[in-house]
Amino acid sequence: MHDNIIDRSKDVTILELLDRVLNKGVILTGDIVISVADVDLIYLGVKLMLSSVETMEKLKSGRYITSEKA
Amino acid sequence: MKLLIYAIVSVKDAPGTLNSLLTGMKGTSGMPLYSVPFNEVSVVVSNINSEGLNASQTDAIGYAGLIETLAQKFTLLPMRFGSVMGSTQEIADMLGKNMNEILRNLEKVEDKFEFGLKIFCDSEKVRAGLKAKSAASAKLIDKPAPEIKHSVYLDYVNQKLKEHRLEELLMAYVDSVIAEIKGTLARLNSIDKFRKTGAEKNIIDAVFLLDKNKKAELIKVVEGFKKQYPELDFILTGPWPPYSFIDITIK
Amino acid sequence: MSENKLLFNTGSLDELSQEIGEITSTEKSKLELNPDNADSGLAKLVLTLIELIRKLVEKQAMRRVDGGSLTDAEIERLGETLMKLEIKMEELKKHFNLTDSDLNINLGPLGDLM
Repeated sequence: MHDNIIDRSKDVTILELLDRVLNKGVILTGDIVISVADVDLIYLGVKLMLSSVETMEKLKSGRYITSEKA
Repeated sequence: MKLLIYAIVSVKDAPGTLNSLLTGMKGTSGMPLYSVPFNEVSVVVSNINSEGLNASQTDAIGYAGLIETLAQKFTLLPMRFGSVMGSTQEIADMLGKNMNEILRNLEKVEDKFEFGLKIFCDSEKVRAGLKAKSAASAKLIDKPAPEIKHSVYLDYVNQKLKEHRLEELLMAYVDSVIAEIKGTLARLNSIDKFRKTGAEKNIIDAVFLLDKNKKAELIKVVEGFKKQYPELDFILTGPWPPYSFIDITIK
Repeated sequence: MSENKLLFNTGSLDELSQEIGEITSTEKSKLELNPDNADSGLAKLVLTLIELIRKLVEKQAMRRVDGGSLTDAEIERLGETLMKLEIKMEELKKHFNLTDSDLNINLGPLGDLM
């Protein structure tokens, strides 16, 4: 059971860490995205952020609807 | 080729030491880390190919780990994972345009770390307690005069009203917990942010920005909260780089 | 990570890490529209907004009722309207196969919608 406690505590730490590195910190662009026909338009969060950089680049160019808020 | 940005680092106290720390450090995809200097700050970057980042969760964790290593030695502003810029020139332009904001933020987080406190409760139990307390005082709408027939609607309103009052009570309770915790933490000179999550169990999500050496004190304080609020559960994590205290969106 | 970042904890970690996972995960809230699900995707988006407004209206209505400034007849009519709205909403959710959690979009830095 001891190992399990260590695992869980690691899980909590990793989730907290991911929450920070993916949702906080200095932002270069907004990141709320809705995808239409496999084209991501407005980003919403973690999972998307992980594959989103190319789209973020496009977002920066202002072609898509973005909603940004710190 | 593009640049993945990790952090904006203050180097005013020790110019030069950043580069020696970065020597040999590898970033996302194993690319070497280096810095782009600009006046009193340096931006830590690594190269990525122009396709952009095909990143996994492991990359994000590694990225955060590097920021943390840097945060041990320097005051910095962590970037959100996936921050990419086109060239060192673009970075210099960005820094030039936002320098005031950057310096203001760096000053705020200097020699401080972030801690996270999540507070959980069994909201059913707390609701039940509040309900019992309020039952005496809460008076619902009386049955209508006999000429109004559809009292099913009135029952509906009364039901909603009950839920509404309970919700208000719960929010007032959460507010009182927040006020209490805020007051206690003021002793530690912390900057804090509280969020009422509105979730079933995780009722409060808080972050504190504290002097680096106050970790032990903070733990003691939170242990005290548990004694004061046995019905609540607390999770305290940290120290983290000051992710939640950056109020800057770089254009 | 070199050190243990979990400094203090009083709950069951199993339950809590699950709960944090749910808070952190935004996978469920992806609004995906494509030719195959254009109908339900759009319905999700529209119903989310309608549900948000409906809840705001309901909350505001309860404040007014609680404030005691409404007559019995007004309360009666209010109840009828709110009840019908809720029933209609349930029908729509059923029709488009959506649950309450589908209608709570996580707006990332803005927090949950509801």
